[in-house]
Amino acid sequence: MHALLADFGGTFHYYAYFAVMMIGVYAMVAKTNLLKKCIGLGIFQTAIMLFYVSIGAKDGATIPIVDPALGTADPALYANPLPQVLMLTAIVVSVATLGVALALVQNIHRDHGAIEEDEILKRLRGQ
Amino acid sequence: MTSQLPILAVAPLLFGAFAVTAGRFLFRRANYAVAVLALAASFAASVLLAVRVFSQGTQTYFVGGWPPPIGISYVADPLSALMLAFVAGAALCVFLASKAEIETSYPLKNSAFFALYLLAVAGHMGIVITGDAFNLYVLIEVAALSGYAILAQGRDRAMLASLNYLFIGSLGASLYLLGVGYLYIMTGSLNMADLAGIVSGMAPQGLAGSTALAASFAIILAGLFIKMGLFPFHSWLPAAYAFSAAPAAALIAPMTTKVMAYVLVRISLAVYTPHLAWSLPAVNALVVTLATAAILYGGLCALAQQSFRRMLCFIVLSEVGYMAGGVFLGNRTALTGVIYHIFADLLMTLCLFLCAANVERATGGRLSGLGGLFTRMPVTAAALAMGGLSMIGVPPFCGFFSKWYLLSGAIQSGHFLFAAALVVSSLINAVLFFRIFEIALFGGPETRDTPDAPNARNGHAPGSPDAAFCAEMPAQRLVPLAVAAVSLVVMGLLTGDFVTRVADAVLPPGL
Repeated sequence: MHALLADFGGTFHYYAYFAVMMIGVYAMVAKTNLLKKCIGLGIFQTAIMLFYVSIGAKDGATIPIVDPALGTADPALYANPLPQVLMLTAIVVSVATLGVALALVQNIHRDHGAIEEDEILKRLRGQ
Repeated sequence: MTSQLPILAVAPLLFGAFAVTAGRFLFRRANYAVAVLALAASFAASVLLAVRVFSQGTQTYFVGGWPPPIGISYVADPLSALMLAFVAGAALCVFLASKAEIETSYPLKNSAFFALYLLAVAGHMGIVITGDAFNLYVLIEVAALSGYAILAQGRDRAMLASLNYLFIGSLGASLYLLGVGYLYIMTGSLNMADLAGIVSGMAPQGLAGSTALAASFAIILAGLFIKMGLFPFHSWLPAAYAFSAAPAAALIAPMTTKVMAYVLVRISLAVYTPHLAWSLPAVNALVVTLATAAILYGGLCALAQQSFRRMLCFIVLSEVGYMAGGVFLGNRTALTGVIYHIFADLLMTLCLFLCAANVERATGGRLSGLGGLFTRMPVTAAALAMGGLSMIGVPPFCGFFSKWYLLSGAIQSGHFLFAAALVVSSLINAVLFFRIFEIALFGGPETRDTPDAPNARNGHAPGSPDAAFCAEMPAQRLVPLAVAAVSLVVMGLLTGDFVTRVADAVLPPGL
């Protein structure tokens, strides 16, 4: 049991990101409200960022900016900067995606007067 | 100068996108010319690059001068250089052919459309040439985001279809990113060439030896299949392509699925190496089964369609099945077939979607409205016939040769169901296109604007019929179409050269 817990302590971030990711997928699949789907997409993408940042983390390490007091000799003193840098790019991408999605939702609302998917389909059929 | 060609192939498009955005306020009238110039410059650079690659071998460019594995490298080998030239050429063809559509389908938003179009092409070309797994993700999103925006403008539910595509597409791209994350945990690298060495050193016996690598492969595959529109993940594709305005569909349809198939080939060949990519029997069996289902499903749905463009969308679905299945048949012949089919299918889809744009403009795009096409629009009809025959797989059109390689590969590896699906798909295509030929040759013109015609009820429909049903189209529309149609035959006749100089050059020896 103790071994299992110790193992869990080292890997719980995988369970955490996976749980958050599934919440996002659930929102995208099960909700009919287009805005809620956008929120689901945001949660999904954030979960992946969480995953990346967590794999760059080290026990007792500080942020990856060179500190004169610590020097550069021991990389174990700093968190891995690469996943964090990658996620800065991914954040920009997800902001842009959300922007396009919201613009589309806004236009759909203007054209069809609804943001509930089934309502829009009903109106399209009844046209 | 020539050593900069890999970046010069993409850069004009990015600068062009800035220029037309700024030009919205400065030189609006010249904007179309600026966009054509950017596309032409990029096409010229990719052709020069391809010539250089074929004479001198693979060219590598380090973006910003940072050597890998720290920096991003652009790698032009025979496969990527030729793909680059095809993508740039197709984009230029569509752009020249759809000038009139762009003006009517995107009123007041021409500059925005030009910028998005250039960005979409830049994204696709970047995907083809990049040698960095994370950069690939960013470029997938660049290509996809501009694609969502231009596909959203069209008939009634284009916007909703595009939003659905956005949700599903982002899901696919994010899964790819997640898979790359696992790969990064295991290898600490993102450069594809670097990855290949580390990965094959880590799991020499096959991916089953390392759960994390197997997971990364499976997640990346899931992401790519969603982006390609392989069978259970296909629902976004027909809607997004069928409701959008014609130029957007003609640009995105030949590109996205084919470029994603290219990524699939590249990841299997250059990151995991075929030996590892085929080392999970369950994955092979699953993908080939899905591909078989995709081929049959696409064909059967295409039979049920009343609109020409929608029918083409379902044919694209079954072509995706060819490519995804072919990669996992597990032998050299099939992989050669897939590489050949990526190019062949790009040309066929380009040719047919350009035909669809012309036909829609003249008749509204319903199959029943195609009567008398051969006498009224001889050039379009001839191109349609060539595209159709190539889809069916009649020699000497290129569609025959890719089917031949795939079929031989399927039989070699004992996947008879897949082989049967290929044959059935050819037969279905024959039914589809001969039905069109029959209407076009023997049918009379339909009385148009029947109440149920899809374009009858809204203002800025892409297919609002022209007054003169067809005094054929202006040369600007016909020349790109003719180029696309003729290239089907040229590509078919050059099959031998293609296989020795492109496929054999990138496939590892002894496969």
